[in-house]
Amino acid sequence: MVDPQQRALWAHRGLFVLLAALSIFARLLPLGAGSGGGLNDTTLMETIARLPGPDVLLCLILAWEQRRPEYLPALLIAAVVLMEDFLLMRPPGLWTALVLIAGEFLRNRAALTRELSFIAEWLLIAAVMTGMFLVYRVMFTVAFLPQPSFGFAMAQVLATILFYPLVVWLSHLALGVDKPAMGEVDAQGRRR
Amino acid sequence: MARNRTSPEDYSRPVRRILVGGLVVLLLALFLLWRIDSPRVERFRTALVDKVVPNFDWIMLPVTKASGMVDSFQSYSSLYGQNQELRRELQQMTVWKEAALRLEQQNARLLDLNHVRLDPKLTHITGVVLADSGSPFRQSVLLNVGARDGIQDGWAAMDGLGLVGRISGVGNRSARVILLTDSNSRIPVVIQPSGQKALASGDNSPAPPLEFIEKPDEVRPGDQVVTSGDGGVFPAGLLVGQVAQGKDKRLRVRLSADYERLEFLRVLRSHALEVLTDPGGLVAPPLPEPGAFGPMPIPGAGAGAEAGPSNG
Repeated sequence: MVDPQQRALWAHRGLFVLLAALSIFARLLPLGAGSGGGLNDTTLMETIARLPGPDVLLCLILAWEQRRPEYLPALLIAAVVLMEDFLLMRPPGLWTALVLIAGEFLRNRAALTRELSFIAEWLLIAAVMTGMFLVYRVMFTVAFLPQPSFGFAMAQVLATILFYPLVVWLSHLALGVDKPAMGEVDAQGRRR
Repeated sequence: MARNRTSPEDYSRPVRRILVGGLVVLLLALFLLWRIDSPRVERFRTALVDKVVPNFDWIMLPVTKASGMVDSFQSYSSLYGQNQELRRELQQMTVWKEAALRLEQQNARLLDLNHVRLDPKLTHITGVVLADSGSPFRQSVLLNVGARDGIQDGWAAMDGLGLVGRISGVGNRSARVILLTDSNSRIPVVIQPSGQKALASGDNSPAPPLEFIEKPDEVRPGDQVVTSGDGGVFPAGLLVGQVAQGKDKRLRVRLSADYERLEFLRVLRSHALEVLTDPGGLVAPPLPEPGAFGPMPIPGAGAGAEAGPSNG
């Protein structure tokens, strides 16, 4: 017997893994982050092209964590982000831990954020992302690791924050990940 | 917002908190382990990349091809201008070709006269660039050749023209090349024709700055930069690029390798340099007996090891 709710749960988990893999491999692709280019003749376009893109995976995790936390068990998040850490040559573990903590933070406030307007939610997410970024940098400093310049790293955070509504909209439109409606019940028959 | 507080969730919540906390502690421990014993974790990372990335060849191929098509299409649109430019360049090249042929003949004659023996070991393996985790933060590419093909850490990688980077991390089927632009890359170079030695140290910008130049006055923009082979890591005389002056008035290397399209890379088989440990029997006086008084004439590893047992 396949319960439709159960099926949706596993379908979305599978979908998440798929999207995460896509996002990681999009960053691995040999399209080149444009490290070439001239020395003096860098136009504005080239500078923009060299800026880091948004962290789609982070948007996805934070957006889903507020809408359907049951789609993203902590272990799944940890496994996926740790894989990303390893493949993208980042120090393993640190970013994963931060994402987990941020995810738990949002999950515990799911009841609160459910009633927020989208603008308020966006502000909350922006604050969370900036906080994660700052903690990440502080940890780098504490561990005496070389880190990229502040401007570049901040550009990535800004890009991720700007990208967040798009991810929310797309996952609402295409993947059916919404905040639970009134009176919806979960697998155990409890009110959400 | 009146919520029913007696749901079973209330009991599972603290348990969940402990479990997630444990997971976070584990992850931070992994980070610490990486910080303390980096080589072991990096070896694991290399093995992981080696397992995962080559399997995604099929997904990477169409995307790279498509982006290549977009690039070519853009260049079609400026075909006429390019054609004119190429004609002009070809004209110049013919002149250079004549000069090069003459010089080659001359060089061959001179080498023959001097009985010079060129190093026959400088052969290469060509690999295809699999993936590029090039963010503005880390500049490296992944090649599809690895330990299976005899690649070793530290070898130089070039494209057709100039130096691209150095192998750092070898898996069985893949190897990672740290590009010259990466902030961890330091390459000893020599600037011709003035012969000034310097260090090309990457800083994540497209043109790595030159550091530790003794007399910067003798270096002009346009001078050629080649590897110097100091430190024994790199073969000497590989073309790196040209000196250029950046906006911040620092001397930088404009790299000869085409970093925009790294497709095939040539990994040079360089062999460990033979270290001369022989003091040179004819020149130096013979070594004193082990345990003799007075300073050792040659403070080397061998002498120290010899002196150890006689003292104890």
